[in-house]
Amino acid sequence: MATDNKVSQGTGIDEPSNHERHTTNLLDRIKNKHRSTMNSQHNNILVPEEVKKLKKLYNIIIVIVLLAFILATIQTNFNPVIIFAKGGNFIDFVVNDLTPPNFKGVLGLGDALLQTIAMSMISTFFGGIIAFCLCFFASYQTAPHPSTVKIVRGFASMQRNIPNTIWLFIFRMTFGIGTTIGMVALLFNTTGRLTRMFAEVVDEVGKESMEALDSVGAGYLKKLFQCVIPASIPGFVSWLLYSAEINIRAAGVVGALGGGGIGLILSSYLSVFRYKTAFGIILIMAATTILVSLVTDYLRKKVLV
Amino acid sequence: MTNTNSLLEITNLKKYYGLTKAVDDVSFNIENEEIVTIIGRSGAGKSTIMRCINRLVMNNGGSIKVDGIEIGNDISKKQLLEARCKIGFIFQHFNLVYRLTVFQNVMHGVLGRISTFDGIIGRYPEDDKEKAYEILKSIGLEDQIYKRAGELSGGQKQRVAIARALMQEPKLLLCDEPIASLDPITSRTIMDLIVDQAKQRGIACLINLHQVEFAKEYSTRIIGMREGKLVFDDTPINLTNDKINEIYGSTDDIDELNPEYELAAVSGGAVAVGY
Repeated sequence: MATDNKVSQGTGIDEPSNHERHTTNLLDRIKNKHRSTMNSQHNNILVPEEVKKLKKLYNIIIVIVLLAFILATIQTNFNPVIIFAKGGNFIDFVVNDLTPPNFKGVLGLGDALLQTIAMSMISTFFGGIIAFCLCFFASYQTAPHPSTVKIVRGFASMQRNIPNTIWLFIFRMTFGIGTTIGMVALLFNTTGRLTRMFAEVVDEVGKESMEALDSVGAGYLKKLFQCVIPASIPGFVSWLLYSAEINIRAAGVVGALGGGGIGLILSSYLSVFRYKTAFGIILIMAATTILVSLVTDYLRKKVLV
Repeated sequence: MTNTNSLLEITNLKKYYGLTKAVDDVSFNIENEEIVTIIGRSGAGKSTIMRCINRLVMNNGGSIKVDGIEIGNDISKKQLLEARCKIGFIFQHFNLVYRLTVFQNVMHGVLGRISTFDGIIGRYPEDDKEKAYEILKSIGLEDQIYKRAGELSGGQKQRVAIARALMQEPKLLLCDEPIASLDPITSRTIMDLIVDQAKQRGIACLINLHQVEFAKEYSTRIIGMREGKLVFDDTPINLTNDKINEIYGSTDDIDELNPEYELAAVSGGAVAVGY
């Protein structure tokens, strides 16, 4: 219909007859066409054949999902009843061993807590810097050569898809326990994740504004710094803050496995059955995590206007 | 064709997308200070010609000369950037960097002239900054200088884009459907602005338009395109209704050209008839 409008605009008011003739022709054809369809199948207009087929397909899918669930349950010996049968143990443990939390022993752990926070922040920060440098090679829009996209993305996927804990395990074998390996493990994972995410942010920068800088005669680096980076900054900041949140949570687990900080202290209290103090530490860690996500939320609102 | 003083010389330009001939053997010249509009249906090859001129797309044949410099396949990267410096380009969708301020966007116009390092850190010569302010003042945006480009209205965005193009001090201004996404009144102010500024500064304009009335009103010459071929090249007075029909085709041709059109009309029409 849009083309129709344009054409009538082009020809102006001089030849309305032409346009009219065309319209009436169309109307006739529409009526004819509809009359024939009305006659042939007027009782099935509400539920067309395709919709019926789709419904049948949905039913089949539901049956398949149910069967898969039953098979998986049998295969893994998963027994939901056990939660109720042994639920008493759980309540017993929580009421007698875990609570009330003991904060007395926790007070001296400020340093360890700071270590954990520092570990996650430093790894986020440096991961962000490395990812910032790498992401332009991993984006289809800015890569100097198409092959760098595959190489950098492959490298990033490897870093990202091997979990923190596995990296930590590898480093612990070679360098021993401590915050350094905790930080490096977090850094590896963060770099991989952020490179990938930053590259996607760069991919989404409008081709249009890049074309505009082409048209003024700006070279590659000028385009990168005057168009791609300014346009990507909100995306970069958003992912960086998200990463900080993930890392503060992960730093606890990584620490417990030998990465140092408050996580390591938690695991040592657990191993000597001092559950009340351990629970105190867990609560402190949870509070820290919540605090960090509140801060990142605030920053996100402030920065990303 | 042999006039060597032409600002823009296009000879036998060809551009194919697969088997489609987007631009098929088109030749025309543009002299200094001419205002030329190209009209034609969507897909007639208007935009493609524009984009070939500053090599946003590469042509498959023919030659393009801007101010004596051949813009062809053997042009060096440096030469191309220098040539683009002299050609302003105004886009349908404004193509600003919306996170940056109006002033920063306008200053992008001089990016081609300054050193790479200055371009990276955004350090521009003082007299260029003053000139940018003057331009912004003359187009009525001096109050918006430190606003983000994304916060402006469509008409204001296009004015920023015009200011950016003027900062290039171009000899030739290419406008690719500059008013296609604006309302009729804003369209008029934008067209006025482009043509006034071009006349003031002695810039030649090549404008791509959908509105025949605007083309007749503003240009010194009109080029008509149909299916990649140049079918009209004359003054606005000679653009008769017959000629317009030749460029746009009559309504009867539509069915033959585009069989899907009829189907769309039929299914769309069913609602209108009331079934």
